[in-house]
Amino acid sequence: MIPSAFEYHSPTSVEDALGLLGRFGDDAKLLAGGHSLIPLMKLRLAAPEHLIDLGRVQGLSYIRDEGGAIAIGAMTTHSAVAASELLRSRVAVLAEAAASIGDVQVRNRGTIGGSLAHADPGADLPGVMLALNAELVARGASGTRTIAAADFFTDLLSTALEPNEVLTEIRIPVLPANTGSTYLKFANQASGYAIVGIAAVVTVSGATVADARVGVSGVGETASRASGTEQALRGQPANADAVKRAAQQAADGIEPLGDIHASAEYRSHLVRVFAERALNTALGRAQGRG
Amino acid sequence: MQLTGTYTFKAPRDAVWQAMLDPENIRRCMPGCEEFKTTAEDQYEAVMKAGVGSIKGTFQGKIQLSERQPPSSYRMGVEGGGKPGRVKGSGVLTLTDQGGTTLVAYDGDAQVAGLIASVGQRLLGITARKLIEQFFKTMEKQIPATSA
Repeated sequence: MIPSAFEYHSPTSVEDALGLLGRFGDDAKLLAGGHSLIPLMKLRLAAPEHLIDLGRVQGLSYIRDEGGAIAIGAMTTHSAVAASELLRSRVAVLAEAAASIGDVQVRNRGTIGGSLAHADPGADLPGVMLALNAELVARGASGTRTIAAADFFTDLLSTALEPNEVLTEIRIPVLPANTGSTYLKFANQASGYAIVGIAAVVTVSGATVADARVGVSGVGETASRASGTEQALRGQPANADAVKRAAQQAADGIEPLGDIHASAEYRSHLVRVFAERALNTALGRAQGRG
Repeated sequence: MQLTGTYTFKAPRDAVWQAMLDPENIRRCMPGCEEFKTTAEDQYEAVMKAGVGSIKGTFQGKIQLSERQPPSSYRMGVEGGGKPGRVKGSGVLTLTDQGGTTLVAYDGDAQVAGLIASVGQRLLGITARKLIEQFFKTMEKQIPATSA
């Protein structure tokens, strides 16, 4: 449980962090809350020579209402996200997902940006970002760019971030009126990782489903959208029967992982069951029923 | 740790067999291969620096091919070590002719020692599968008929 030797760097600004990244390139790794990276280092599955700790960088921890979007600093902890009144009232799916991560120690240290940049297949937040059409703001030596969540998660443990970029902010577009959302997962009992995690966002227009978005975490190598279910539900009557039918397609197009915790078949089954439950809850909220 | 999977080559079985057992091709297709030498017939020693995302390491090991059944199957044994610990395993690769394309199925078992086996398994298995997939993808490009 002792990591390989590494050089520790503790920049106090994003610019300094970028400078260090530029200097050490592939041998460096950014440290956010450390609740994914440190265990990997202790197992020696990761052995970066230079660790750049973002913990002392000022101004990366905030949750702000900016009108059209809610902006969240990348170093905001899961517990801060889970406790935010703004997020709980406006983007329940994100607050609920953050509240479900790991245990209290992990939530107090782990950060939204760290979790997203690590892109663990069992992480809760990637699927939530997809369902919310979130935007991820990255800063590099040559400036700032915004990456759509749909383009961000490229592969297993891999993102669209360049090696010399720092994820600084997550932007959640304001949800339309008459929208309800929730996050529901079947968790690994030991780690809390999602075996299946469903982020559901439903917008109703009268008695009809105007829009439905479903993000799936924990099932494939990366999070994905259950687009078949989304299409099947749009324009349908806003009731449990329509949800039940649409949820049957929730696992379509996903190549599920199979491991000692859950076989691929079991994961597919759980996706359908949890998609139905999550969509019903989100639909109920959209209709003002809790 | 069980490792199973398949990959479909868009090439006839004989060509796939020839490519997969060619040491030069193995060297070229091994992800992050830094050193590769032939120590005896069907025996190689290699150093690779490879990984996926945050998981990255340098591995050193011996590869042994055996039980050749041209052009349908052979066994590959791997024994080695790296920073995460020692790994020993072997698996059978089966090539099935599908009329123009070839299905390669691998079925192996790797013994991973120590803590990594229990705690690291969740990510280790999928990372290994990812690297195997990279190997096959690069291998497919080495086959002349499909590189056009």
